[in-house]
Amino acid sequence: MSTGTPIAPAPSPIDYSPAAQEFRAEVRDWLAANAPDEMRGVQVPREPAPELAAALARWADTLAEAGYMCVAWPREYGGRGLSGVEVAIMNEEFARADVPRLTRGMGEGLVGPAIIAHATEEQKARFLPPIISGEHDYCQGFSEPEAGSDLAGLRTRGVLDGDHLVINGQKVWTSGFFKANMIFTLVRTNPDAAKHRGISYVLVPITVDGEPNGIEFRPITRMTGLAHFSETFFTDTRAPLDNVIGGLDNGWRVAMTTLGSERGGRATTQHLGFMRQFWRLVREVRERGLIDDVRVREQLAWAYSQVEVLRYTGLQLVAELAAGRSGAGLGNGSTTKIRWSEYERRLAEIAMDLLGPDALVVGPGYELDHWQEELLVTRSHTIWGGTAEVQRNIVAERVLGLPKDPAVAPARAAGGER
Amino acid sequence: MSLAVTAEQQELRATVRRWLADSAPMARVRELMATPTAFDPALWRGLAELGVLDLAVPEQYGGAGYGVQELAHVFDECGAALLPGPLLATLGLALPLLLATDDERARARHLPGIADGSTVATVAWLAPGAGWDSAGRSMGVTGGKLSGSASTVLDGMSADLVLAVAGTGDSAVVVAVDPTAPGVTRTAQPTLDQTRPLAQLHFDDVPCTPVGTGAHLLERALDTAGVLLAAEMVGGAQACLDMSVAYAKVRQQFGRPIGSFQAVKHKCAEVLVELEGARAAAAYAAWAAAENPAELPVVAPLAKAVAGEAYFRAAADNVQIHGGIGFTWEHDAHLYFKRAKTSLMLFGDTGAHRRTLADRIGL
Repeated sequence: MSTGTPIAPAPSPIDYSPAAQEFRAEVRDWLAANAPDEMRGVQVPREPAPELAAALARWADTLAEAGYMCVAWPREYGGRGLSGVEVAIMNEEFARADVPRLTRGMGEGLVGPAIIAHATEEQKARFLPPIISGEHDYCQGFSEPEAGSDLAGLRTRGVLDGDHLVINGQKVWTSGFFKANMIFTLVRTNPDAAKHRGISYVLVPITVDGEPNGIEFRPITRMTGLAHFSETFFTDTRAPLDNVIGGLDNGWRVAMTTLGSERGGRATTQHLGFMRQFWRLVREVRERGLIDDVRVREQLAWAYSQVEVLRYTGLQLVAELAAGRSGAGLGNGSTTKIRWSEYERRLAEIAMDLLGPDALVVGPGYELDHWQEELLVTRSHTIWGGTAEVQRNIVAERVLGLPKDPAVAPARAAGGER
Repeated sequence: MSLAVTAEQQELRATVRRWLADSAPMARVRELMATPTAFDPALWRGLAELGVLDLAVPEQYGGAGYGVQELAHVFDECGAALLPGPLLATLGLALPLLLATDDERARARHLPGIADGSTVATVAWLAPGAGWDSAGRSMGVTGGKLSGSASTVLDGMSADLVLAVAGTGDSAVVVAVDPTAPGVTRTAQPTLDQTRPLAQLHFDDVPCTPVGTGAHLLERALDTAGVLLAAEMVGGAQACLDMSVAYAKVRQQFGRPIGSFQAVKHKCAEVLVELEGARAAAAYAAWAAAENPAELPVVAPLAKAVAGEAYFRAAADNVQIHGGIGFTWEHDAHLYFKRAKTSLMLFGDTGAHRRTLADRIGL
């Protein structure tokens, strides 16, 4: 029985340039010399226990010191200016070495790119290095109780007070709040302007000189029974005007910044976790003596196909990028997200069916097993970061060119947060 | 050769697309549909002149020496145009079957004719009235003579060469038969998809030439056929999505284009997501067929099933989005719908391909 598929088969379906191959060798050598044993085989859990969290933090610092954090950022801002192909290579090599490739999370993927694209040089110098070093850990304050998919309907107010903004209002679905010391948020600074025009993008410290800054996180218990995100209340919270990125009232444009240069980054490795999970299900099905059932075999083959399609789409994209083309028409964030989020949702449903009566029973204290947790957690994956419905609108309008709904035009729906 | 599309392959596609638009527009497809064989020798000669028929034939047999990757681009374009004709039978089935055998004499005898367009070839293996797993059950070879029947023979009426699979398992033999020889009876089977003609063949002590032994030969040919059919289905699915989107932009109801309604938008978006996956699977399968044949037994049924589902959905939703007009004979939507459903079923439906896949990944 095979236990998985290779990251990339030999011969390779991708023609890498000599420079890219050199980069691969560099990463491979570095990992051979520096990857700690305690990181081998570690799959980063959603909520690592303290000991593992500390080990992960050490590994993250090692990566940062070696220049393996924020690698897609330009060199002048402390990154490595890696292309999507090179980021993909890096991910492949970390997977090959069987150690997690850690990032600085939302700071690296969302805040940094927005700063790089829209901030002043002074702001870049002030806010980018602490993201790389890990000194600033960001959570996101975008969604509000009345502004989900229709994010631009947000009401949290930011009022000028000298050289500061004073923020009052409520955000929701703030994940990672328990470890964050910064929050990047959207506030309405001009209530008289058009919906998308009066919004500002602000970096707000959660404490100032060790004192609370008027931000209260109230954890929300998710359907899994754990609290992973929160409601976030701002009461006379202060942020210097220097923390507004892209200028007052220009926050919508800043928030829409995506890290275009990293296209391809996860394309050739995103299937690996799904493949591990697939073979885990096969093992459990085999243990229950169900593997010869025709219906079971068809369902498992369906799942295998979906994971392979993820691999093929990734390889195809990176092959095109490596050939010096844009990869236009080969998928984008929306179609990829629709594909994997709906797949894993369905897989969990199937796994529950296959495991039968055992799957109805949880452990003490509502402790969930792998598939029970997957069944519940995956419901959120078609909601955060833009619901499955919003993603379909984006695909229909921006890829296929179908007309906007006249009732909501020119509004552009956007996502909530993870 | 990588997965990336080369400039040469893009040029090939553009050439085929132009030729199809000039020589086989939908009006011509409909004329051919109305004939019993749906075969136009002039179009076949045209494909030969275009350099399509010899693409995947090795150079020593008069071919251009390219492979499945290039051929897949041709199938994609022909699928979008619903081209009738023995492309799948000749290049998708018979050619890989001949290449799968080690019979040098058979290759030297038949491949040059395939390459220059003088030979339309097909493969006969299915038992009449039986399922997709009935290979070889209704034919036998005794004393160098073939007897028995096969149905669902692609382009069986227009073929100049029939490769018949007689017997099962290790004792299965592949033989070459001249379908115009005495003792052969050919009967056209009227098809649901009129652009893909089928025939029933009856052999009564017909002299034949053995070209190989073992059921694995047909399996390998069917894998390649599945990969090329997947490419053809991707082309068809893209054509359906293009039609749906174009119509949804202009068709007005309630004072606005129907494409501005989420119900229609989401249908189109879902088709695109599936199509994207199918395209990647078909491209990867074609790459594997050419560059990493060890992977072919897994990727072929996988790509065939994924592309079949994507095409069916694209074609079915295309009918739906067009509303009443999409249900008429006059509109082309039904032609794609019929091609989609029957292609999904060809060589085995989605469930059958998944069961094969399960076996081949070691479940």
